Amino acid sequence: MADLMRLTILGGYLGSGKTTWARHQLYVGAFGPDVHVIVNEAAEVPVDDALLTAPGGVTLLAGGCCCCTGQAALIAALRGLCDARSQGKGPSRVLLETSGLADPGAIVRAIQADPVLIHHVRVDEVLVAVDALHAAAQLTAEPLGRRQIEAADRLILTKVDAAPDLDRLRATLRVLNPTAPITAAVRGEDVALPPETKADPLPLPALPEETAPIRPTQIHLPKGMDWSVFTLWLSALLHARGNDLVRVKGVVRTPAGRLLLQTVRKVVQAPEILPESAHAEDDVIVFIGRGYDPANLPRSLAHFTG
Amino acid sequence: MCNACGNPAVPGHWTEAGAASPGDRLRARYQRTALLNRLLRPYGLSVADGGAVPGYQLSTLSGAVTLVNDLGALWEEAERLIGRPVDPLDARYLNG
Repeated sequence: MADLMRLTILGGYLGSGKTTWARHQLYVGAFGPDVHVIVNEAAEVPVDDALLTAPGGVTLLAGGCCCCTGQAALIAALRGLCDARSQGKGPSRVLLETSGLADPGAIVRAIQADPVLIHHVRVDEVLVAVDALHAAAQLTAEPLGRRQIEAADRLILTKVDAAPDLDRLRATLRVLNPTAPITAAVRGEDVALPPETKADPLPLPALPEETAPIRPTQIHLPKGMDWSVFTLWLSALLHARGNDLVRVKGVVRTPAGRLLLQTVRKVVQAPEILPESAHAEDDVIVFIGRGYDPANLPRSLAHFTG
Repeated sequence: MCNACGNPAVPGHWTEAGAASPGDRLRARYQRTALLNRLLRPYGLSVADGGAVPGYQLSTLSGAVTLVNDLGALWEEAERLIGRPVDPLDARYLNG
């Protein structure tokens, strides 16, 4: 696994500060000495590529969002990099800046479904930039804005110096994605967030696309739970309910070691073996989703193990 | 990858990650097959993991057999045969 090309996906709504953030992070070398940047723009006339320079070069994919219409171009670009890499010329890390209209979950899905990329690319982290000034309005009205938040491994609040009410926004983000840590940046520079005070999340009205709010549920796996039984249950659950189960995350103890389990909708990342530690959070799985009664998850699992 | 059938197209299905030794792997295969048969029998389906053939063999009562590569493909094929997905949150799976 060590020599896979590491891919970081940087998503976020239109104008959320993705390029600004990437520009500064590349300037300070946060992605290593040979990072290659892929910039995707939904519009035909690109702007962002002019702003970015990277040690490993910049690829521009314009005229099609890479989670849908431009997906073939993205796959081709990544395959090209993998090709170069297998000849010893490619980068070890890639930063993909998506268009503001992209659903990062769909991109992860496309990469995992590609027979070449699955062997060569590891999705390191899905970062989503959140515009602290405008996110509140986007989240109450835009299904896409919510999907982006839900798919994130880490949320980056941008423009925090100009934002009036961070506490409510942070509470709202936690409702949508309880597991992703929230960091903050101003013009790309990381800044510390003030301590969070308790605030009510913004009301998230049901949008035409989605009928119920997304809720997190924690399941404690029974002692001695067998990995093969648990994954059989989970694979059936994801097949039947994958569109409702936005995210499943947790660490499971198995004979092979501590396995980090992560899914985005129907896509499961290849489980990663974590180093041993006496961590108390093992065998607790977080389910984030909608459209089911949370109490039924442990009941159904018990039926499968019984 | 096998030149004749193209299997496996991807390195190991995620459900197979938890086994450390060949013994664990074999045990897990038996366990999965037994559980799958218990779950799918009410639908008139049975599952065999022949060992020589990769993946699972999913059979109907009339004897039609489909080879599927992994559990993900198995649930898809089961949905096609049954007409709806096997949903663990269905009422039939919620009682003890």
